Amino acid sequence: MQNFAYRAPASTTDALRLGTGTGARYIAGGTDLLNLMKDGVQRHDLIIDLNRLPLHDITPTTTGVRLGALARMADVAAHPQVRRRLPLLAETLLAGASPQVRNAATIGGNLLQRTRCWYFRDASMPCNKREPGSGCAAQHGQNRWHAIIGGSAHCIAVHPSDLAVALTALDATVHTLGSGGARTIGIRDFYRLPGDTPQVETALRSGELITAVDVPSTGLTGRYLKVRDRATFEFAVVSVAALIRTGGGGVVREARLAFGGIAPVPWRSAEAERQLIGRRLDDAAIEAAGRALTLPAAPREHNAFKVPLVRRALATALGGLR
Amino acid sequence: MFSTSRRTVLKTAAAAPIPALLPGAPASSGVTLTVNGDTVTRQLEPRVTLLDALREDLGLTGTKKGCDRGECGACTVLVDGRRTKSCLTLAVMQQGREITTIEGLADGDRLHPVQAAFIRHDGFQCGFCTSGQIMSAVACIREGHAGSDDEVREWMSGNLCRCGCYPNIVAAVRAAADEEQ
Amino acid sequence: MSPSVVGRPIARTDGVAKVTGAARYAADADVTGVVHAVLVTSDVARGRITAIDTAVASSGAGVLAVLTHDTLPALTLPAVTSFYLKRFVPVQDDRIRHAGQPVAIAVADTLARAQDAAARVVVRYESAPPQVVLADALGEAYVPPPGSDGPNDYTRGDVAAGMAAADVTVEATYTTPLQHHNPLEPSATVASWDGDALTVHESAQGISITQNVLAQAFGLTPGQVRVITPYVGGGFGAKGPAWPHTLLAAAAARHVGRPVKLVLSRAQTYTSHGHRAETHQVMRVGATREGRLTAIDHVVTQQVSRTEELLFNSSEPTRMLYDCANVRSTQRAVRLDLPTGSFVRSPEAATGHVLESTLDELAVTLGLDPVELRLRNWSAINQETGAPHGSNHLRECYTRGAQQFGWSRRDPRPGSMRDRDGIIGWGMATAAHTAGGRPGSGATVTVGRDGTARIECGTQEIGTGTYTVMQQVGAQTLGLAVHQVTFLLGDTRYPAAFASAASATVPSAGAAVVRAATAARDLVVAAALADAASPLHGVAADRIGAEDGFLFVTGQPWRRVAYRDVMARHGAPISATSTPVPTPLGYSTGAVFAEVHVDPAIGRVRVRRIVGVFDPGRILNRQTARSQAIGGAVWAVGFTLTEHTLVDPHLGRVVTPNLSGYLIPTNLDIPDIDVDFIDRPDPDSPALGARGFGETPMTGTTAAIANALHHATGHRFRDLPITQDKILAALS
Repeated sequence: MQNFAYRAPASTTDALRLGTGTGARYIAGGTDLLNLMKDGVQRHDLIIDLNRLPLHDITPTTTGVRLGALARMADVAAHPQVRRRLPLLAETLLAGASPQVRNAATIGGNLLQRTRCWYFRDASMPCNKREPGSGCAAQHGQNRWHAIIGGSAHCIAVHPSDLAVALTALDATVHTLGSGGARTIGIRDFYRLPGDTPQVETALRSGELITAVDVPSTGLTGRYLKVRDRATFEFAVVSVAALIRTGGGGVVREARLAFGGIAPVPWRSAEAERQLIGRRLDDAAIEAAGRALTLPAAPREHNAFKVPLVRRALATALGGLR
Repeated sequence: MFSTSRRTVLKTAAAAPIPALLPGAPASSGVTLTVNGDTVTRQLEPRVTLLDALREDLGLTGTKKGCDRGECGACTVLVDGRRTKSCLTLAVMQQGREITTIEGLADGDRLHPVQAAFIRHDGFQCGFCTSGQIMSAVACIREGHAGSDDEVREWMSGNLCRCGCYPNIVAAVRAAADEEQ
Repeated sequence: MSPSVVGRPIARTDGVAKVTGAARYAADADVTGVVHAVLVTSDVARGRITAIDTAVASSGAGVLAVLTHDTLPALTLPAVTSFYLKRFVPVQDDRIRHAGQPVAIAVADTLARAQDAAARVVVRYESAPPQVVLADALGEAYVPPPGSDGPNDYTRGDVAAGMAAADVTVEATYTTPLQHHNPLEPSATVASWDGDALTVHESAQGISITQNVLAQAFGLTPGQVRVITPYVGGGFGAKGPAWPHTLLAAAAARHVGRPVKLVLSRAQTYTSHGHRAETHQVMRVGATREGRLTAIDHVVTQQVSRTEELLFNSSEPTRMLYDCANVRSTQRAVRLDLPTGSFVRSPEAATGHVLESTLDELAVTLGLDPVELRLRNWSAINQETGAPHGSNHLRECYTRGAQQFGWSRRDPRPGSMRDRDGIIGWGMATAAHTAGGRPGSGATVTVGRDGTARIECGTQEIGTGTYTVMQQVGAQTLGLAVHQVTFLLGDTRYPAAFASAASATVPSAGAAVVRAATAARDLVVAAALADAASPLHGVAADRIGAEDGFLFVTGQPWRRVAYRDVMARHGAPISATSTPVPTPLGYSTGAVFAEVHVDPAIGRVRVRRIVGVFDPGRILNRQTARSQAIGGAVWAVGFTLTEHTLVDPHLGRVVTPNLSGYLIPTNLDIPDIDVDFIDRPDPDSPALGARGFGETPMTGTTAAIANALHHATGHRFRDLPITQDKILAALS
């Protein structure tokens, strides 16, 4: 990787001031950024180490838990409040990466990790996300791991985060701080579909920092199911975060369904959720939800299997919540 | 045709020159690391990973580089007692922390119980992943994640072994965990 | 001979070095003044270089050189017989034969600077569309000339007549994917020159190969090249042949006048040192209603490169294993724009998988138990050579394995065995791999005046336990205690040995140690007999035994003298050197049983347990032998369920050159593995009754898992790897 200047500011004010410069980039855990820099996917002149900022805390709130952007995945997963009030979140975090990486990787960094698309990660291959206008080699290449929903002719890379899928089901809120001040962004507005600008992935503005994530405690029963090609230590082929609240007679009152591995963003399917509301969680309802989910699917040559797989995964996750 | 344009694109992409460093960009600076109880200072560029600093600058070659991408675990060290992959962090970011490598585990000639258990249970063959496996195992036991064979399997899965010693590694970690109780 | 030394499960003598980080692998070599080299590799798969701009790269701080085909001095192409398989040396001309081919070398004072300089080299190419898809090019298949693993076109008997005589025939087409070795240690070279003398620390499975190849490339005598390799961080074939990066590191060192370290990146290992070529296999078998094989016809077609045509997925199991009079084995090649192929752990696994899978299909067709089918076709001889095996206890492996697994409780109906959350499948297969049949090795045994022995042998330790086992073999033969023997390897100053490959270390290096130790012991005995003060004086040499550091008169153990005392009175060390004797071809076999569990909801498969019973002759060290068997089983899980290197069909480039896209098993993927050995000496063995064994356990296990999946699902998965989506599709 190319060399860079390194700063470790002690205040967010200083961090933001440094972060406005061109070629500047924040580093927290570094578990994704350093790989991208080693591979020449990203090149930066100034690396701003955020670890001295006071953004590490995990704090109970009246509505749930607030996760500091610098809280480590392992610490969040092990936190008693999280385990008690947000078991889905703990379950999801432990399904990701490896113990070593979870000790280093942060909540903010996890949300900003970049796609595993191999054409993106090899700096000498065509990729519109990395180099707008260079083409998308995945469209007609090796696209087993790519999106079946929400992609465009410019990009079919999937977002790799498990955490983001769970947070999408949990309707979390992302707090940011930039030169224009603090903002609050709902997780569903945080990620951007590729369209014809796949290089734009989130609502973050240049130099803006994630400071915290608010995760409401829903009272819903949930499960995160991650399907992958080996037993562990792998990104999801598809994943499902399902949250359900049932009322009298087992009728579903509320359903939240989010999916990983099938779309360029953590995919919330209101259509699938609608199929469950007001019905008992029986096979017919689950089947209808799966059909609604994959109705817009447009698979490529090697990933058509994701259509039945994600429906089966949904059925399995919901079956476990009956 | 798509493939034609792809080839054109490929050539341009491959040929795109990388801008040179900005004028005035830093060369190296003194980086102070505490490794196995010793505090040492070396002139390092900010881009040097902790792994490369240990191996190339401090001469601590027991920590291995298998992939340099956090995908194999051979470079696992303890930072303030927690296991982490030293290829995925910069040396300059680890100043002021206690770093423990495989060289710092034994007490003189007396092996750490995990090291001894790995020998007893033949938890390695070629030995290349072993430093990382052992550092990871020390943390795994300390975290309380060695309560059953399956728990060890899951919590040791961040360390790949290509010789295929996994069942022996599980036995070694379980034995060492029992011993420490 | 005492049974007390060989066979014992003694802990590895290099264990402390490996668990403390003290073991130094090639890239750990402490060489003063070393600088770093990084390869620049081709982004295109086929074409030529039109321009290389090194100006920016060369101007970086600390950059010592950026070498291209315009500036790198000419190197001689080493002969293929020296095990430099590639038929060109890169960075010598502008032609691109495959993606990942080295096109330049950047050298700088630090690793980071060398990496950065390499990234700043700008290469322009004129490229043509590559052909990399085997299935698209099967029409271009041809039968190449034979390589070192036997004929590519083999027939015995009359296959057509055998098929005609069959009551049932089974024909099936299988495919196995491109796979990579992925040792945890990426290949590394540290090269330093002193005038015309070259010293190389190399991650080599064959230091003599590296030595000879370097000598040829640089026009030196082998004596001018020293290769040092005390430890190898796994090889699995990747480090068996010599490859370009070693030559390029040495050339760069000579150019900059400094020692140079070159370590391949993980990504570069996917194009730098061979792979297991993709195969397309058509297998036809005919059998009587009783399950006797009447004919086997096996066509394996595999990918080769544009510049080489050696085949490594070779069909020994088809030719050698089962009693069948009519056999045809055809091995075909298809040239593609991919890197050079090579051998990967258990090269016979790919063809053995298809033979053993097809036999399972035959067993189902016949309604015959798969163990019984194999028992009925067991052969006492090597069916290809017609020669009897030194020993062959395969039938006992079947019966003992079946008993330990509980095979008799198997309900053969597919999908019939279930538990609370899924379907259980039980499968089995024969494990079989040639072992040895390769060049021999030499060793020197020196007994010192203190009565301890030092053994030197230019073999390698790749994880198989060479230090430990050879120390045991030496101690056993000399009649010393294990701790009285030191075994040194990994230096071309020691007598030359064959590569640590082809399951040949025990029969090759082991036999060399036996011969040298026998000669040394005889000399020590002679010294004792000649000494008038010795209690053995005047006894006939053939009546002298040796055990645990003492020489004694057979049958009169109280008439004894310590090695130490003999040597002290002798007053000078006694030394003997063995010269290479070609290693006999062994055949180590076994029976493997596997249980899989399938979650029918999402197609998830887990291997639940594996039982393997093997016959590798005598066991030299039960612990290291068991570890090898476990390792083979782990490889089989990856081979069967997860491992495949994906290549972009248009770009001709590997898109999974890493350990996150190419999935080797994790700890959680591996169940308990139950290993047992027949442990009976092979009388033909030149190494204390032992045969080579390392490659046997992976074979058989792959088909046992796949056959278990058929048992679970009723579907035959003929395309590897058997990923979840294929299971799900079969169950839908």
